[in-house]
Amino acid sequence: MNEIISVKQFSKSYGGLTAVQDLDLSVMQGTVFGLLGENGAGKSTTIECILGTRIPDTGTISIMGMNPFQQRKQLFENVGVQFQEANYQDKVTVSELCEVTQSLYKKAADYRELLKQFGISEKAKSTVKELSGGQRQKLFIVLALIPQPKVVFLDELTTGLDAKARREVWKILSNLKEKGLTIFLTSHFMDEVEALCDTICILKKGKTVFYGTVKEAVESSPYKNFEDAYLWYSDEETSENENV
Amino acid sequence: MRTFRTMLKNEMKLSIRDMNMIIFAICIPLAVLIILGIIYGNKPAYEGAEYTFLEQSFGALTTISICAGGVMGLPLVISDYRNRKILKHFKVTPVSPAMILAVQVVIYTIYSVVSLILLYVVSVIFFGFHLNGSIPVFLGGYLLVMLSIFSIGMMIGGIAPNSQTASVIASLLYFPMLIFSGATLPYEVMPNALQKIADILPLTQGIKLLKAAALGLPLDNVFVPIAVMAVLAAVCIGVSIRFFKWE
Repeated sequence: MNEIISVKQFSKSYGGLTAVQDLDLSVMQGTVFGLLGENGAGKSTTIECILGTRIPDTGTISIMGMNPFQQRKQLFENVGVQFQEANYQDKVTVSELCEVTQSLYKKAADYRELLKQFGISEKAKSTVKELSGGQRQKLFIVLALIPQPKVVFLDELTTGLDAKARREVWKILSNLKEKGLTIFLTSHFMDEVEALCDTICILKKGKTVFYGTVKEAVESSPYKNFEDAYLWYSDEETSENENV
Repeated sequence: MRTFRTMLKNEMKLSIRDMNMIIFAICIPLAVLIILGIIYGNKPAYEGAEYTFLEQSFGALTTISICAGGVMGLPLVISDYRNRKILKHFKVTPVSPAMILAVQVVIYTIYSVVSLILLYVVSVIFFGFHLNGSIPVFLGGYLLVMLSIFSIGMMIGGIAPNSQTASVIASLLYFPMLIFSGATLPYEVMPNALQKIADILPLTQGIKLLKAAALGLPLDNVFVPIAVMAVLAAVCIGVSIRFFKWE
């Protein structure tokens, strides 16, 4: 298996406040990696530094062996990204946004096919603004998949989706994973993490408090289910963890 | 090329939906032309002049849309995209800053050229306008004015930290240029002192060039404005691409 994402000894602080400290992670091809933690634990900072939209203070980062700053054009032919914040023009329609995204890549997927797969093809002529929260979230996943990426970054994957829609999205992503797609995601839903992720990393105040599989996370905690274990790892009280 | 064409098509649609540029770059110059035409008609520019007032003002009128697009439209749209994190999203795609800027420049070039054609047609049909000078020289001057004004816009748009700053800088440049350079208020009717102040604005130099070209007046002292505008354009475009801010 090839290593797709490699992060070594990465740190980043904002004006004296440490956002992420000494993070190491490695994501193999065809696996799903989940970066977890409370709001403000350093998830978005990590994603942004891996993608090169922010500059790390120290550490080395590479995606498919490429540096996201120096080889930006080449690298992003093969990387799909869905950011947490919405980013689209005021009056743009779904099909226009997809069409432009498609035009940016040398070998893009047919967006109509993807819209159909995600069940929002009848919304192609609507403006993005008119979509419901869930439909918009699906659209942003579609946009991230348009480049036919080798690796996709999904920040807050299914926020705003209802239970049924989340299952549909999981299924599509699992199928893509079978075909060799590498997925890097953040999520606040532990059922989703359990269903999708091969490896997880739990951050707490910028530091890694757990790194391994979901099963290992449960086993090395005093709890039986993953959500309890997660809360235990990401809990404020550090002293408690050290006693176990 | 495919990226460029698709982006251009979509951005043009969005820009037209927005209506701002239709008003400021297409309708306003026409309105000013019609007002000047009705007031001054075919009267000579001054007692004993060989050309009419309208012929004298034509060059200036054609720069209104260049200013609207270059100093207002261009920087505001780019800084708005920065604010909305659209540029940030572009940063994680293979697209280059030069492509993003070029698409917008072409859009505002289209507005300017459409405005130029409309102004020409309306003045010829309704106000008996005749371009006395050489058309190639006029178009050359027009291109130069467009290049220098758009490059200022590219620079503001490319590096302004946020929309508010871009909007303030754009207004500070736009309104004085529009009013004092002779684009709306004819340079000839300004008091002497005001003319001196207007002379330092780059657009004033451009309008002088266009006026001379339109009227077929001798082009003696044009080397300096041409050189100044060309250098300005090169510097601004270089800065906008080199120091382009995605966020």
